[in-house]
Amino acid sequence: MAGRNLNQTALHIPDGYLSPATCAALYAGAAPFWYVSLQRMKRAFNTQMVPLLSVFAAFSFIIMMFNLPLPGGTTGHAVGVGIATIVLGPWASILGISIALIIQAVFFGDGGITAIGANCFNMAVIGSLATYAIYRVLAGRASITSARRVIAAGVAGYVAINLAALAAAIEFGIQPLLYHDASGAPLYAPYPLRIAIPAMMIGHLTIAGLAEMVVSAGVVAYLQRSEPALLKRTAPGAAESSAAVGSLRHLWFALAALLILTPLGILATGSAWGEAPLAQAPRGLRALSSFWTAPMPRYAPPFLKSPAFGYLLSAMTGTGLILLVVLLTGWLTRGRAGSRGLTK
Amino acid sequence: MSGYIERTIASLVAASERAAIAEQVAFSEGALQRVDPRVKVAGLFALIVVVAASRRLSVIAALFVIAAILAAASHVRMRRLAGWVWLPVLFFTGAIALPAIFLTPGHAVASLGITAITEQGLRAAAFLIGRAETASTLSALLVLTTPWPWVLKALRIFRCPMIVVAILGMTYRYIFVILQTALEMFEARQSRTVGVLPPSERRRLASSAAGVLLSKSVQMSGEVHQAMRSRGFRGEIHLLQDFRARATDWCWLAGFGLVAAASLWYGR
Amino acid sequence: MNIFQLRDVSFKYETVAAIDGVSLDIEAGKRIALLGANGSGKSTLLRLLDALSFPGAGSISFQGQPLSEVRFADHQFAFDFHRRVGLVFQNPDVQLFNPTVFDEVAFGPLQLRWSKSEIVARVNAVLESMEIAHLKDRPPHRLSGGEKKRVALASVLVLDPEVLLLDEPTAALDPRSQSQIIDLLIGWGDGGKTVITATHDLGLVEDIADHCVILQAGKVAAEGNPAELLADQALLQRANLVHAHRHRHGSVVTHSHPHTHPHKHGSETI
Repeated sequence: MAGRNLNQTALHIPDGYLSPATCAALYAGAAPFWYVSLQRMKRAFNTQMVPLLSVFAAFSFIIMMFNLPLPGGTTGHAVGVGIATIVLGPWASILGISIALIIQAVFFGDGGITAIGANCFNMAVIGSLATYAIYRVLAGRASITSARRVIAAGVAGYVAINLAALAAAIEFGIQPLLYHDASGAPLYAPYPLRIAIPAMMIGHLTIAGLAEMVVSAGVVAYLQRSEPALLKRTAPGAAESSAAVGSLRHLWFALAALLILTPLGILATGSAWGEAPLAQAPRGLRALSSFWTAPMPRYAPPFLKSPAFGYLLSAMTGTGLILLVVLLTGWLTRGRAGSRGLTK
Repeated sequence: MSGYIERTIASLVAASERAAIAEQVAFSEGALQRVDPRVKVAGLFALIVVVAASRRLSVIAALFVIAAILAAASHVRMRRLAGWVWLPVLFFTGAIALPAIFLTPGHAVASLGITAITEQGLRAAAFLIGRAETASTLSALLVLTTPWPWVLKALRIFRCPMIVVAILGMTYRYIFVILQTALEMFEARQSRTVGVLPPSERRRLASSAAGVLLSKSVQMSGEVHQAMRSRGFRGEIHLLQDFRARATDWCWLAGFGLVAAASLWYGR
Repeated sequence: MNIFQLRDVSFKYETVAAIDGVSLDIEAGKRIALLGANGSGKSTLLRLLDALSFPGAGSISFQGQPLSEVRFADHQFAFDFHRRVGLVFQNPDVQLFNPTVFDEVAFGPLQLRWSKSEIVARVNAVLESMEIAHLKDRPPHRLSGGEKKRVALASVLVLDPEVLLLDEPTAALDPRSQSQIIDLLIGWGDGGKTVITATHDLGLVEDIADHCVILQAGKVAAEGNPAELLADQALLQRANLVHAHRHRHGSVVTHSHPHTHPHKHGSETI
């Protein structure tokens, strides 16, 4: 399937992974956001809403097909929700990304038809709102062309995709708890939360998250050079000059807060689902590593088998990756001035 | 590590070809092609929901066979279904389902040293793969036997707002316009690229391409808006819907209803 | 009688003046060519005539009615105006926004709330007369450039407008499609309709116009009989319509050359 090889991650949930009740609940969860977005769009754009949404959804669809070179030599695909939100605002992004996802599901078989509600809820609703909140907080009042906006866009896209993945992981993870047949065999996604969450997050903390970061930061950097007016919608009160040196320091503080919160967030999610985080999460990771490195554990040093180490490793990976993202974005933006000749 | 441009071009071309083939098959004279789109949309959607709801593997397998028979009767070649749906779904969902065979606790049927295959694990994998394959086949049948604009107009039977139907139609239309622009941009880029660019440069190029496409899209939406206003558009959407259900369509509807109800009953 | 009357019309995009103090009288039933190089304001002027934008200064009236934002708040007036004045855009991808050819041609009539049977009959008749009936279920992305142009034209002509505004109707078409479109326009204009064509293709002018307006940098540089204006080499050079070393002798075009100036966007390359 043309679309099938586009999204190697399970962020586009296919049919059969979620029970009909879960699907219905997520349709119901997405519906009020669709409704509010439609009302807001009608008010903000009037008769221009129909062509704007259509062309923008088509753009998002095409962006999802871009094969993006990522740091580390791999390539990946972005959802485009970061840049959609930054240019059009969260409401238009919710609708635009949803429309692109619906066409992907129905026409190209990418993502299930029963899971449209779930996919829209995770990627369009959570993705857009998370991008918007993080971008607004991190970008602050920085001028339209400031490097801080590029970093804010990259981080916002990265975190938004990871939150969407977390939501999908939770949806997967509650399936075996709720639905199994008489023999105890899971009827839908078979992995419990303690496996589903780390399995989903590792792929998204690395490839999918980085892809979204590259597109969000890169397109913002491009628009700063060639069409800064397109960045104004989500930058109210942006400073006129790009002088604000102090603004970058604020950014680092905001980022530090984010870094500290990330592992806490993972812990909090664990306990929210009724599991004592430190005792249970490692068991999931241990189970996970047993099928990833199946033949290996025998020869591995004993501390690798320690459950606490497994959890620490995953938390460190996440935090480290965020730090990496920040450094890379900064480095990307620094290199930007030199490339002007090539991109114009 | 070059080739990301080639891979993007390949994705774009594949999407375009897939659409072309779907359009071609949809206009051929097969069994499902002759059915009223509203009946097809409702019927196939009902079957997909039943696939998701069934608690018995045998019912899912039966629905898969029905989907394959419908495909054969509608000029949808098995090879095409295998290439577009069955194999990709098997690879993707299969890879996800495989560890479940070992990880699901339950009655062990075969021991492999440090781990064991469980009966529950096998059933879990079979449910996941069976559902994903059957539902994907049914949804592929819909777009392979129904031109996209008709699929959209048929959505009106689910009380889908007119404005959503219009936006979905217009999005599909502009996917091809933007796809063409992207293709030309990448091909031009490809012809000018000599040697291998450093990774940072490749990233910058990819995001600049996305940026160019974005600003062109915004500009285009403004022009489309003018073109719509020029022909009397005032924000209200009106659609012409001209489906007429014939006697055979009612038979199909009854057939879909019967299969769905029976599967739901047996699959409790 | 004047169908359009423009008095000191100016229009700016942000800070750039696209139309700068234009006054024109356009007679009903005339066929008019708006000549000018890229950026001379032709497309902007057509959009002003179609009431898609409104002048920043000066006034435009259509059959004595001023065209203003306030006037167009009235739905009935807007419907009536857009039925009587049709614009064919230069880029058919912009104009063909519907999923099929039939839906495309039916879009205008649907907006104007014609009855269903009337719409079906009229759309089929127009498709027939434009020889595109066989394309009616096709999506626009499976059409050739010439076919797209004919569908765009059909989508406007189905409303049977009194005034037809055309933006570069032959741009980016192969010679055969070009002459088909020109023949169609000649045939249609004979019925006492007003046809205003914006173009930089001098070879087209004598076929499609009996009055000619030359625009230069948003101003009217000259106005009059096509044959006379096209003979004025100094004028054509000033308006960037000919190159110094390529020019006409009498009515014969020497050194004729493919005269396309591809539309330049801000940053075409990546």
